[in-house]
Amino acid sequence: MRAIKSILLVLLLLCLWIPPIYASVPIWTMEQGLTIKAMSISEDGEQVAVGTQNATAILLQQDGTQQFEFAAKNVVTGVALLNDGQMLVSSDDRHLYKLDAKGEEIWSRDFRKMIKNLSATPDGKRVIITLHNESVIRLLDEQGEVLQEIPVGIAVKTAALSPNGQWLAAGAANQYAYMFGPSGEQLFQIPLDGDIQHVAVGDNGTLVVGSSNNKAVIYSSEGDSLGELVTKDKVTSVHITNDGAFVAVADYSGNYYVADEGGSLLWSTKEVGAGQQIRFSADGTRLFAGSDQGAVFQYEVGAVLAQGKQAAMTQKMLQIGAVVVSIVLIALLFLWLWRKKPHILQRLWRSKLAYAMLLPSFTLLIIFLYIPAFSGLIHSLYDWNPGARSEFIGLDNFRRMLNDPYVTKGVGNLLILIVTGLIKALIPPLIVAELIYHLRSKRSQYVFRTFFVISMVIPSVGMLLVWQDMYDPNIGLVNQVLRMIGLGSLSHAWLGDPNTALWAIIMMGFPFVGILQLLVLYSGLIAIPDEVIEAARIDGAKSFRIIRTIHLPLLAGQFKLLIVLGLIGIIQDFGSILIVTGGGPADSTYVPALQMYFAATKFNDLGYASALGVSMFAIIMIITVINMKFIKTNTD
Amino acid sequence: MNTKARLVQQSALYVLITVFVGLTLAPIVFTLISSFKNNAQILGGIWTLPVPAQIGNYAEAFAAIWRYTLNTVLYAAVGGTLVVALSAVAGYTFAKKEFLGKELLFMMMLAIMMIPGVMTLIPSYVLYANLGLVNTPWVIIISAAAGGQIFGTFLCRSFMAGISNELFDAAKIDGAGEFVVFTRMVLPLSVPVLMTLMIMQSVGIYNDYIWPLLTIKSNSIQMIGVGLTQFTNQFGISNMGVEFAAYIISAIPLVLLFSFGMKYYIQGVTQGALKI
Repeated sequence: MRAIKSILLVLLLLCLWIPPIYASVPIWTMEQGLTIKAMSISEDGEQVAVGTQNATAILLQQDGTQQFEFAAKNVVTGVALLNDGQMLVSSDDRHLYKLDAKGEEIWSRDFRKMIKNLSATPDGKRVIITLHNESVIRLLDEQGEVLQEIPVGIAVKTAALSPNGQWLAAGAANQYAYMFGPSGEQLFQIPLDGDIQHVAVGDNGTLVVGSSNNKAVIYSSEGDSLGELVTKDKVTSVHITNDGAFVAVADYSGNYYVADEGGSLLWSTKEVGAGQQIRFSADGTRLFAGSDQGAVFQYEVGAVLAQGKQAAMTQKMLQIGAVVVSIVLIALLFLWLWRKKPHILQRLWRSKLAYAMLLPSFTLLIIFLYIPAFSGLIHSLYDWNPGARSEFIGLDNFRRMLNDPYVTKGVGNLLILIVTGLIKALIPPLIVAELIYHLRSKRSQYVFRTFFVISMVIPSVGMLLVWQDMYDPNIGLVNQVLRMIGLGSLSHAWLGDPNTALWAIIMMGFPFVGILQLLVLYSGLIAIPDEVIEAARIDGAKSFRIIRTIHLPLLAGQFKLLIVLGLIGIIQDFGSILIVTGGGPADSTYVPALQMYFAATKFNDLGYASALGVSMFAIIMIITVINMKFIKTNTD
Repeated sequence: MNTKARLVQQSALYVLITVFVGLTLAPIVFTLISSFKNNAQILGGIWTLPVPAQIGNYAEAFAAIWRYTLNTVLYAAVGGTLVVALSAVAGYTFAKKEFLGKELLFMMMLAIMMIPGVMTLIPSYVLYANLGLVNTPWVIIISAAAGGQIFGTFLCRSFMAGISNELFDAAKIDGAGEFVVFTRMVLPLSVPVLMTLMIMQSVGIYNDYIWPLLTIKSNSIQMIGVGLTQFTNQFGISNMGVEFAAYIISAIPLVLLFSFGMKYYIQGVTQGALKI
């Protein structure tokens, strides 16, 4: 026991010791440390143009040396490097500038509104811009003259041309992404479930849309969804290689991702600050990213992908290794047995049929129950990205939990749910079980018991939705009943008000006659020997006295069982809250299990989700152990 | 106690229980009545009878959810059968066979019951995704079989341990092999417990919500729980009668199951719960 403790202590110290690793050194950082607002890569991938919040457009060599700096009069919102070394710059100062290879202005045009987006083909023949709060995309020629105005119908937030100029993609304020053909005809429009932050389109028409809903969604040139990449924060920038084979995404937490066209994550990393811009070079070999702190990073995509692949390979090798090692160990064990204790092998061989009969059960047990359990335990210590690089971060996930306001709020709610849940699980079923038990006619007992079980025929999800309807502020049963009995002033948006939502959830299922609880208590009652009760009756005991002095003590075992099952069930249950309120309004009905589900599904934060799961496991374990101790001391 | 007092007491009991039954079943009755109404009729009064009855609600609801219902029934049938098969074999082995490591293996099964579903939910999802099972029917069936067999093995083991050994010995003397003993004697004798298990598992799978929500994306293979929430979001307040009709339709398979299996279900809940 002491040995185990000291090993655990050492492991704990080890976990605390590992510092979090933040990856690479930027190739260039702006002195003022302001946001990188725009970025463009030359065709050969040797030069990077950045536009800054500091009203400058800067041309950098690929190694980070500065070529020139052009000063605009307001925030630079777009840059586009052209083949001949010339560069287009758009700015909130309402001008579009064309610069030569030395950074000298060739011409500028005033558009009388802030220019919010700029995108151009590398030959500079096709240029698009969008103006602040305007619902059209302007197509310009080489000289900056407007050729065509493409109507979108609603304020355009972001727009991009494909490098060959054949496709034009846009994201509008109504959360729709639009795709236009070479002559400006609309090809399709797609609704997204979040604000569109950025779009990018490849030469083959593959479209990637980054939304504020932590998603980058990839569409084919026909508008069919090819896949999506879930990110850990709001997507700020997306890009796609010219051939449409790889997608890069930046998010607001400074995570940068590379995925394939199906949205499967190939590589990710995290840098300091929020990610703002991300671009591939034309041949897709280099990846550049810019942060809100003025840093520009460069990655070799080949190396980056190899790194991701290697991480996946290493993991696969480790898994194969583990299997090989265990096979070798088992073989060695058999060899040792064969040499030293052949009779054990004989016994094993004799029961071969029994082992064969257990094989299917245990295959499923180990693969689908034991492996996930251990995987959850281990990965709670990781920033877990299946299929890409996972980083060991020690107890960071657990530390984060302590500072997560949703978890703190959730624990408070959970305590309320546990107290009320246990009352609901014990008192009403006990009352009903006693009532049924005291009926004299056995037939009536059976009939009433059946009536209660009937309440199960509606699927549980359906029942929850019915209750949701009953709480509806306008047409719900609850408010109608209140109005009927003259208490209309109390009627309320029960689920819509943070003060009442949790209690509305608790009151669902009134009068709380749980089938399991009722049947367990009822069968406990009929198991009490008649002689005991007869004896008490002869002594003159009344029904209430019999319940108090005979029934309750003899039902202690059933109560303990129901308490443990109730606690475990309440801590784990988040499905009903997810259906009825989704945790809202605000955070008023969050529970830790719901936060775990959201961490995994909305934020792709699998390590954190595992840590929450492990914590709940620990609490359930403690409750079970305490309960087992209790039972022992009572029966001894 | 004289007869009159007893009569009063019994009547009071009946009244009280009827109140409880009424309150418990009120939402179901409400759903049933409202499923035959249109929005105007629902707003007009909760407990008024639906005249004229909107039979069309059912046609509309059926068109929207028959697929989910059928899928779920199929998953429940296949998953439940797998659980019964695995549990019968494993339960019999643990109950009637002697072999090295029996206690250890049984403990391995026992221990996994301590691990709560929330902890394995996300890692399981990653595992099924890695195996390419996500968004296929197998993700539901395998997880139901792997999880359900644990409880099933316990139930079968304690039931089969009660079958007398002399029966088997007699059969073996007559030259019956292991397979014959299992299929001709053990299984027929265990029908009640296997029925119980089948019904409990089917109801469990039928009510599944979080797992299909997480693992199934295509509507064509989605289950009823998720299907109902999607359907409700779609129709919402615009046509509540259709919504209620959908809940009633989704209850039909459970009504059929309970109409012949209620007894077994009650047995299972009480026996199973007490033994764990």
